Amino acid sequence: MFPQRQAAVVGVYTSEQARVLDRTSDSLQLEAVKGALQDAGLTAADVDGVAGASMRGRYPWFEQYWATQLGGRPLTYVQEMTGANPGLHKSALAVSAGLADVVVHVFGKANARTGIGGHPVLDEAPRMDPWDLHFTGGSYPMWYAMWARRYMHEFGATSEDLAQVAVAHRHHATLNPRSLMGGRGELTVDDVLGSRLIAEPLHLYDCALDNDGAWAFVVAAAEVARGCRKEPVWIIGGAEAVETDLYMTVDKPWIRESGSAVRRVGEMSFAQAGIRHDDLDVANLYDCFTITMIRNLEELGFCKLGEGAEYFREGHTRLGGSIPCNTDGGLLSHSHNGMTHGFPMIEVTRQLRGECGPRQVPGARLGLAFSQGASVHGAATAVVLATG
Amino acid sequence: MTSSSTAAPMPYRKPLPAIADDNKPFLDGLRRHRFLVPKCGACGDYSWIPHPACRSCLSEDLTWTPVSGDATVYSFTIAHRGPGAFALDVPYAIVLGELVEQPRPCLVVGNLVGALPGVLEIGMPIRIGYHDVPEHDATLWHWTTRA
Repeated sequence: MFPQRQAAVVGVYTSEQARVLDRTSDSLQLEAVKGALQDAGLTAADVDGVAGASMRGRYPWFEQYWATQLGGRPLTYVQEMTGANPGLHKSALAVSAGLADVVVHVFGKANARTGIGGHPVLDEAPRMDPWDLHFTGGSYPMWYAMWARRYMHEFGATSEDLAQVAVAHRHHATLNPRSLMGGRGELTVDDVLGSRLIAEPLHLYDCALDNDGAWAFVVAAAEVARGCRKEPVWIIGGAEAVETDLYMTVDKPWIRESGSAVRRVGEMSFAQAGIRHDDLDVANLYDCFTITMIRNLEELGFCKLGEGAEYFREGHTRLGGSIPCNTDGGLLSHSHNGMTHGFPMIEVTRQLRGECGPRQVPGARLGLAFSQGASVHGAATAVVLATG
Repeated sequence: MTSSSTAAPMPYRKPLPAIADDNKPFLDGLRRHRFLVPKCGACGDYSWIPHPACRSCLSEDLTWTPVSGDATVYSFTIAHRGPGAFALDVPYAIVLGELVEQPRPCLVVGNLVGALPGVLEIGMPIRIGYHDVPEHDATLWHWTTRA
């Protein structure tokens, strides 16, 4: 049987996040890895595991690059992350089982757009399955838009309801000097509804950002964590689930009482951690679109199905509320650098360490980091983090 | 040199089907203006999108079965920004249509043709239509309104 050890986040780092950075993806990732290790008080020589995604075409497997980059020694844990495979808790599982002592998670991107504008007109017609997302001129916003419209039809939510999320997350961003949009000031509901339509009913400000930047965090075994620079942030629960392909298969009902992969990981990670919703001090939930935030609150059990908009309106997730969420500004106003899974881990860690300054949740000791991918709620990871 | 009286047609730059063994019957069906959905010989359910086995019972006893083409709008969006070659088409509609066939409802994505996007409402009747891309010997499907 595997030995069992505790695992903690011991180092975090975010680079500058900007619409366009005059850098390479490699350079940003290296900066983030070095930065997270320095935050932990560790060195590259301590690393025996990596998790990330390859931006290097010549290395089809992410771990090949890092194995040689780190100096040609065995890495005992590797996790290839793709957009649909957040796997945030998996390194903690590996560490807990004694397979690795220090794992770096990293992603960084420059000079590549995730969104609609990043699709060039090719010289000839691209070939793909006729049910591929892109075949009918689809991209992520179109699917989230269809999901939003179905949700609005079934539960009576309005565009104003969705706009509340953009307004609240921009407010948090104004307190985060690292955010892309905080410097632009507050948003109003009218600003959101007046922004240009992307895919009805989603407007520009209903959609995540699309920018360059990097993040990294380091997970370490307890005996290493206790010697690091800062108080360990313990990973006390985590789960992952997948239920869809990439924006092709939809089952009826699309929005269901029994929930999706999101509900499953919420229930599993809460059960592992032995916590209830009202134990949480802070959370960071995947907000690729405004609708997603509302649905996440329902799926993760903060409120009932169909009540997400009302729950959000009541202000629980704002700083000062009972469960401040996305205090960094989220994907809507802080950053979306293409693969954002590290941002919830990093912001919750910073909150639990007391490093958040004007956006600090006072006395935060227990937090939920949540990320997802694949076809709307199709793949999800939740991690429960605790200090003390 | 005199100029030609007709300009060369714009090359087709939207996606085309990648022909593979496991989708060739479907593509041949489109050519014949038939929409074929895998139907399970063991449990009778339809599976969409096509998978190697029945999505309900995992049987591989699947038969490509023509459906009526009738459906209702389950959801839709109107895209105001389009990727790649679709940028020129905005605004255009993407419709998620629920086929009338049971069991196991099939939700099929298609563009709306022959009607303005503004007519779309959840629940309204639609049906599958077909259009050719002659220079590529391909027939594709779309959604159109149904009385």
